[in-house]
Amino acid sequence: MSLSRRSFARASLAASLAALGGVAGCKRAVRDDKGRIRLRLWFSLGGRNREVLLEIVKRFHAAQDEIHVEPVYQGDYFESLAKLRTAIAAKAAPALSHVVAEVVPYLARASTLEPLDGYPGMKEIPFVGPLAQSGGFRGGGERPLYGIPLNRSTPLMYCNGDIFAKEGLRPPTTWRELVDTAKALTRPGTRWGHEVPISWWFWVALVGQAGGTVFDEAGRATLGDEAGVRALRLWQDLVHRDKAMRPPPGRDYDAWNVVNQDFLGGRAAFIWTSTAYIRYLEDNAKFPVIAAPLPSEVRASVPTGGTFFVVVKQAPDEEKIAAARFLRFFCEAEQAAYLSTRTGYLPITTPAAAKMRADGFFAKHPNDEVAQAQLANVDPWPWEPLLFRIERDIVDPRLEEAVLLDRDAASVLGEARVLAARPG
Amino acid sequence: MLGPSLAAWTLFVFVPLGLAAYESLFAWDMLTDPVYVGGANYAAIAESGELGRILGRTLGFSVLVVSGSMALGLGLALLLDRPGRFFAFVRGAIFSAYVVSWVAVALLWVLLLDPDRGAAAALLRLVGLPRVGFLTDPHAALVTLAAVTIWKITGYAMVVFLAGLRSVPQSLHEAASLDGAGRIARFRWVTWPLLKPTAAFVATTSLIVSFQAFDVVRIMTGGGPARATTLFVYAIYEQVFMNLSVGRASALAVVYFLVLCVLAAAQLRAWRSQTVGRRA
Repeated sequence: MSLSRRSFARASLAASLAALGGVAGCKRAVRDDKGRIRLRLWFSLGGRNREVLLEIVKRFHAAQDEIHVEPVYQGDYFESLAKLRTAIAAKAAPALSHVVAEVVPYLARASTLEPLDGYPGMKEIPFVGPLAQSGGFRGGGERPLYGIPLNRSTPLMYCNGDIFAKEGLRPPTTWRELVDTAKALTRPGTRWGHEVPISWWFWVALVGQAGGTVFDEAGRATLGDEAGVRALRLWQDLVHRDKAMRPPPGRDYDAWNVVNQDFLGGRAAFIWTSTAYIRYLEDNAKFPVIAAPLPSEVRASVPTGGTFFVVVKQAPDEEKIAAARFLRFFCEAEQAAYLSTRTGYLPITTPAAAKMRADGFFAKHPNDEVAQAQLANVDPWPWEPLLFRIERDIVDPRLEEAVLLDRDAASVLGEARVLAARPG
Repeated sequence: MLGPSLAAWTLFVFVPLGLAAYESLFAWDMLTDPVYVGGANYAAIAESGELGRILGRTLGFSVLVVSGSMALGLGLALLLDRPGRFFAFVRGAIFSAYVVSWVAVALLWVLLLDPDRGAAAALLRLVGLPRVGFLTDPHAALVTLAAVTIWKITGYAMVVFLAGLRSVPQSLHEAASLDGAGRIARFRWVTWPLLKPTAAFVATTSLIVSFQAFDVVRIMTGGGPARATTLFVYAIYEQVFMNLSVGRASALAVVYFLVLCVLAAAQLRAWRSQTVGRRA
């Protein structure tokens, strides 16, 4: 039995939305007192990434006088998404926001996103294939254009150059080498050989490397089957048997931060984290940072990460047109290259990448070149509306549990598959 | 007379509860059309063992918080129920933790308990003890959160117990002393029986605090590690806002309500038996 959203929402949210009604129900002011279109932008970038985004907004304001972007920070990706969903339900969402890649199919299926193909110039933007909707998702190019890449990344291996030089080692290129190198570089009580956040993103990389996929061609959540189990066991063995890897404490980006700090503090010899941290790690390390592609097992594989800009369908038309205009500006080579060179996120358009090459950026920054080369190993995400729920609700918490408590990998993932098949 | 109260209760308790019960029968994410699934949400949380684990964790946390805050609160009240500026200062200092916001308290303890750079870690190193992952070890995290909660609310329990102690007539103590009762005997036979209603009040308020625990979980552990600190309220929040499952969150909320009903009934029964006993 399926009820219409409207009738259900009326029945079930009447009381709570009544309070919001006074605010959300009011027609919002599309223009400010100077007559400019107010473009509300909810973002979830902190630190340098935030500065770069705000600088691009500033440049946009300098380039024209008809649209005024109002950026508002909304917490990390997941907090921001929770707020965006709630705001959409309350019909109070901003016109422009950005969301993690895996959530785009879900929001698109919910008919909450504006297809952007019809806006002038949008279809002609020369995106870098694996980072755009068309190449970042299987079949993403056959669907309306919902997502414009903002900050896109892949996992990358970072090695402490001093430690590797001292031990006469090279970055591992296979799982076997990864284990051996981690063991060789571990100094109990002072340094871990390897560290990586126990999270869906890195596990998906391992699944791909073991020759699996999280969804099969028919759209079933296989979670990699045997490859998924092998991926999980690799971590469990590194932590519990080899004692060469620290599972970083904390959830979501807290754990990522711990990994970065352990690496910078010399407490981890080599780590996996996002390409987004290239500049941050290079600038803050007291040793040479050497980036390397993730090792392969059956094959080389990395997922993409980061976020896509999305335009909310229910926003007033004027704001949506303004959003498309801002996005076109954002994708110009100057802006896209600026974001990439200042952060470590990958250049999202081919002209931006070409500009960076022409400016000698990659020659000066070999770690960025490694990240660029690794794009050849990108495995696109499936266009699956359930992808995000399975990631957050089912797999992520079980990965942490399985690694920390050394639970049987096959039964943990078997249970996860059963739950993934249920309506949520 | 009952009208305004009943209206408020209906609007803010019964209607939302009824809506939650209704929503628990659907798979819904607030954005797509809801799909009727009957009891599937309840079955899912029960079959996966998640419900039992959350309930066990929450009850365990409550037992630690209630017993800890009561024991410490009573102990401090007995110790500090003395005249003088020094004792007044100590009482004030202990109570001050209660007026600080949960967020500030949680952030403070996150810093203190950091396994590498925190004061607790430094202290452990100083005395030659091994490193403890207070918030990162699945076996230690819940106890740590309970300890932080106890630290925060003990001042309140102490103040209530102090008020209770001061309502015990001095003449009863004097009479008991004349009968040869020592300190422990006086506490056992004079103070404690008269403090029982106060203790029941402290137990009730501590229980409420422990069942409402959210801020401390959200900030200190985010429900981890390995879900070891995912208590009831946090689990509901996580389902609805992080996992996009309104139906599953509503099912948890309904079960939560039923658990609270059972606990309230048990407490009421204990109160009644106490009152009847005293009247008899």
